[in-house]
Amino acid sequence: MKLFLPEIRHDQAGFEALIRLHAQTKDCLFDDIEIDMNATTWFDADMCAAFGAILYHLGAELNTISLTNMRSDVGDILARNGFLSHYGREKIPDRWGTTIPYRRFDVKDDRYFADYIEAELMNRSEMPAMSPALLKKFRESVFEIFSNAVLHSRTERGIFSCGQSYPKRQRLDFSVADLGIGMRQNIKENTGLSFTPQQAIAWATEGRNTTKRGLIPGGLGLKLLRDFIDLNGGRIQIVSDAGYWRRENGKTVIARLNRPFPGTVASIEINTADMQSYALSSEISENDIF
Amino acid sequence: MNKGMSLSIFEIVGSPICVASGDGQKVYDRLAATLKEGLNVTLSFHNITILTSAFLNAAIGQLYGSFSEEQIRSMLTVRDMQPDDLALLKRVVETAKLYFKDPKKFDRAVQEALGSDSDES
Repeated sequence: MKLFLPEIRHDQAGFEALIRLHAQTKDCLFDDIEIDMNATTWFDADMCAAFGAILYHLGAELNTISLTNMRSDVGDILARNGFLSHYGREKIPDRWGTTIPYRRFDVKDDRYFADYIEAELMNRSEMPAMSPALLKKFRESVFEIFSNAVLHSRTERGIFSCGQSYPKRQRLDFSVADLGIGMRQNIKENTGLSFTPQQAIAWATEGRNTTKRGLIPGGLGLKLLRDFIDLNGGRIQIVSDAGYWRRENGKTVIARLNRPFPGTVASIEINTADMQSYALSSEISENDIF
Repeated sequence: MNKGMSLSIFEIVGSPICVASGDGQKVYDRLAATLKEGLNVTLSFHNITILTSAFLNAAIGQLYGSFSEEQIRSMLTVRDMQPDDLALLKRVVETAKLYFKDPKKFDRAVQEALGSDSDES
């Protein structure tokens, strides 16, 4: 089977292109799948998380995947962040130090994920100079996204992450994808509520809604993320099942995609020039918590 | 005031990065055991650099399912927290109180959240 991949940008069209690839291949078993990337004139590196999830699913169904006719500039991007190492190419040095490498984690890999974030964000001088407050909020945000996948996705095939900084645009992108049940199904199974896929994402990012049941409360992670991105001037996109949700400039856009993603992707873009202190308007006392 | 003890999150988790629900569970287990003995607890966040809601939900939010607000307020204190971490803990605690007060009502707070500020394309 031969398929053609268009340019992949981190926007709704980029997600739809990857989802189309999934729809065309999801039933393949023991197949040779060639993905012709001649028409892939651009590939936003953080989209490797979603792309990698789809390809991992194909590999798990014992298909053989080959990425062919890749333009050299796109190949360089995908080799620098280690993505192509999974598909037979050597990793090349990240000369500009702008990549947060592509990785796959299992749900029990919280500690490895933490080490990865610390190593790739904290201990690298090439990363954009962010204020300490912003760096802390960004780290918290990526951990919240990862925790969300760990706690809710029920993925057995892993969690995929990748990031890229754009120093000239003063932006840093980071995406986490999972191959789990998706938000719509998770909400339905845990609360009995039936939503469209796009409504399900909106529900999970609003108010006090949570699918958590049992002894440990939940339902805060995505709201904290949304609050932070609103203040920072960045953007969040979430794709889950056939739902698309984007938050930017204080506005939310939701859409129904033609086909479902086989899990959930959360993608954030932060403004690295943000100098806000994130200090609170009124200090909270340690004696006034409980 | 009864006898009390101090617990160090860093000592329990073994790392300054407190992001995993499983690590939060370890803190909860020690907190709950101590509170069940009727002992006051001071929980120190000294040297902790990153916290998530998932960790705090498991470590502290979960207490509201086993102990009353009055018990927790009178027996548990925290120290060495950054102001923004205190704000996060406060949100976790408020959410936990609501969660355990009326889980069904929690579930019903649903439809109103939808469509209020969304543009569907």
